[in-house]
Amino acid sequence: MNPVVQREFYGILRSPKAFAILMALSAIFAMAVLLRWPSSGTVDLSGTQSMEVFRILGYGLLAGVVFLVPAFPATSIVNEKSSGTLALLLNSPLSPWAIYFGKISGVLLFSVLVLLSSLPAAAACYAMGGIDLVSQLGLLYVVLVLLSLQYATLGMFVSSLVQSADAGVRVTYAAVLGLFVFSLIPALLTRGSQATASISAVTSWVRNLSPLPAVMEIMGHGSVGSSGLRDVPNLTGFAVVTIASSVVFALLTLSRMNYRIFDRSRSQGIITNDRTLASRTFRRLFYLVDPQRRKAGIPWYMNPIMVKEFRSRRFGRSQWLIRLVCVCAVISMVLTFLAATSVTAWGVDSIGGLLVLMQVMLVVLLAPSLASGLISSERDGGGWELLRATPLSPLKILSGKMLSAAWTLALVLLATLPGYLMMIYIRPTMWLQVQLVLISLLWTTVLALTTSAAVGSLFRLTAVSTAVTYVVIVGLFLTPILFWLGRDAPFGHNLVEKALLITPVGAALSVINAPGFASYDLLPAAWYVAGIVSFFMLVILGIQTWRLTRSV
Amino acid sequence: MTDQQPVVVIENLTKRYGDFVALDSLSMQVDKGQILGFIGPNGAGKTTTIRILVGLSKATSGRATIAGCDCLTDSRKIKRIVGYMPDDFGKYNNMRVSEYLDFFGAAYAIGRRDRVRRIDETLEIAGATHMKDLFVDALSRGMQQRVAIARTLIHDPQMIILDEPANGLDPQARIDMREILLRLAELGKTLIVTSHILPELARVCDLVAMITKGKLRAFGTVDDIMRDIKQRRTFEVLLLDGQSVEPVATQIRKWLDQKEPTGLESKNAEATQAVTADSAQTLVRFETSLTDNQLSELLNQLVASDHAIAQFRELATDLEDAFLSVAGAGAQGDAT
Repeated sequence: MNPVVQREFYGILRSPKAFAILMALSAIFAMAVLLRWPSSGTVDLSGTQSMEVFRILGYGLLAGVVFLVPAFPATSIVNEKSSGTLALLLNSPLSPWAIYFGKISGVLLFSVLVLLSSLPAAAACYAMGGIDLVSQLGLLYVVLVLLSLQYATLGMFVSSLVQSADAGVRVTYAAVLGLFVFSLIPALLTRGSQATASISAVTSWVRNLSPLPAVMEIMGHGSVGSSGLRDVPNLTGFAVVTIASSVVFALLTLSRMNYRIFDRSRSQGIITNDRTLASRTFRRLFYLVDPQRRKAGIPWYMNPIMVKEFRSRRFGRSQWLIRLVCVCAVISMVLTFLAATSVTAWGVDSIGGLLVLMQVMLVVLLAPSLASGLISSERDGGGWELLRATPLSPLKILSGKMLSAAWTLALVLLATLPGYLMMIYIRPTMWLQVQLVLISLLWTTVLALTTSAAVGSLFRLTAVSTAVTYVVIVGLFLTPILFWLGRDAPFGHNLVEKALLITPVGAALSVINAPGFASYDLLPAAWYVAGIVSFFMLVILGIQTWRLTRSV
Repeated sequence: MTDQQPVVVIENLTKRYGDFVALDSLSMQVDKGQILGFIGPNGAGKTTTIRILVGLSKATSGRATIAGCDCLTDSRKIKRIVGYMPDDFGKYNNMRVSEYLDFFGAAYAIGRRDRVRRIDETLEIAGATHMKDLFVDALSRGMQQRVAIARTLIHDPQMIILDEPANGLDPQARIDMREILLRLAELGKTLIVTSHILPELARVCDLVAMITKGKLRAFGTVDDIMRDIKQRRTFEVLLLDGQSVEPVATQIRKWLDQKEPTGLESKNAEATQAVTADSAQTLVRFETSLTDNQLSELLNQLVASDHAIAQFRELATDLEDAFLSVAGAGAQGDAT
């Protein structure tokens, strides 16, 4: 047996996290089936009830794979590299392929365990009748296995590129989110438009990078963005795209399983101030903020921790923030322009809904990335002891860190405001709605930020805190949407309304009259819930910071 | 406080984690400008002591003061007068060395202009001026240690505590580190340095504290400790002729039997066993507790006996021997 397979699999199984995940999943699936199990004395011959249970199981399993599978491969190679064991493995008689196969097998075996833990629930679902074993239950598992393969190879590839486990987790989850959600957008934009047949065909294939259309097809929900002129069958398209992309990711990773993975030149520390006048002038033309310019000292009125956080963050420096803000501003204006010029058949409401979703996605993507490692990265890297040895108070440390994340999120959200301004310009009566939406988004940001910081502070290792925080945040924001997707069946109006109160996103979509959300009355209750949860998270964060800074 | 008063005073410092005693009634004093080498095996209690001194940990009982400030109750003052360099560098990615030091300067509330001056000064002391614009995460271990020294000095502390500063350094970097430590002492700083590389400490430290299992086993100057620990000295007689080795060894054994304290057979037997002959290297090695005056008689006898003697010398014992002796004695004491 390949020794790497054995070590990886045992390593994963021995971790308390894996045990907790498997136990929690088994319990959740069992509970979900029990809750929807028919309790009346009548028999449902139409199969509607069993289909409802099957849908919960299917979407739940999909969410499980999306949240859980990427976390393990994302740190697999980079952890080996950091601890020096990858060099030992590459120096052994094991071939790069054997090492890669061993590592990915461990991850996939765990994914299989995750899926196996759902089998009792799936069997119960099948026993209710009305579900086809091959074309529904079997196909669902095929899709999930393929998805696990794709995410495992993607995670391994990212892990071979990055320099820290934390970065591996963040980049992998960002890529997964991109594949899951953003791959649907091109098909959505070209649907029913005058786009040429070739563009339609390409967007149709790109859409299949997301598992959602395939799973929705199995669930009998129709699909997202599938009613174009040209269309690839969801399941076939998904299988082809997933296998092809997995092979590409695997080959790219294998190509790095040699000296290349260690090759990294040290920066020479070239600074613009020391360059020639001509070079300095040339750079001035191209940079608003020159990244190589020598920085001035931290002014007395600034929190040094906040400045340090910006400077030490990979994309925290001014030049990157300017780029991020510009991209957001351009996207928001393009969306509004599309509506204003009637390129698409969307109304202002649909565009408003899209804007809200874009902002929420940015928050969900950025908040854990910015806030989950605020404390754990210091503990992980040895900086926490140094900070404790300085006269900085715990409050100053905490406020500096929170401000650094809050400013970044605020800048990104502010950059999307031009879209709303254009909406008000098109329809001035929307002014009040936009105000309510912005307040809801503000609460969304506060909720995501405080939750990310609080959850992240509970873990010592940055990679673990980032992965867990992403799972918690994505779960927190996705759960109401999953309830909303089942708004007619199996969930009733009241239950969906209550679920949408978990985050203020539903409130924002409801206020802007986004399709499917207009009938819910969520304000101001959603703001209160967000405020209470945020306060609770701040208390957790405060206690954890106090606990870590006191002398024991 | 005056220069005569000790800077560091530790009195009966005890730290318990449940039933485990990490520090057991530790007491010692260090004067201004002195370098204290803090020696002990892994888990001996060195880092626990240091963490109590810098206010990061709380003693179960006992007291520690630095420059008159209590390490627990005056922790804010302690943070300003102590520069602490932990074993872990604590790097921040994507920051240049100047930005890194600027951040710690700002954390100590040093004004912006003074900070610029202090960064240059500390980098100069640490021999790291050329690293000013390099990225912290691109530095080698030796370079990081220099930057860490600069960081420790940024707020001009009276007292500097360095945890394993020579760890992972190559020989040249260790020599450089030794010079930096001596330069800091010249500047009037009081230093506490822990290290596993004992010869390094022997060369720079005024005082040495040896600790095992939380107990202070020896404390004093290196010479004092050597004298206390190593009562019996080792001598070597180097001969020009290999055939003379055995006769000379026999002569020394006989002489030692006569001169070593009498009335104790076992002692004499020990003395006899302590003479070893090495024909390959043409030398005889022996241990004795006799004085130099007494040994001069032996030397005269050897010279008079027509053996071709090239050298008669005392072997220097080093801190490593002393430490092993102290650690061994400590372990025996604990066992009984």
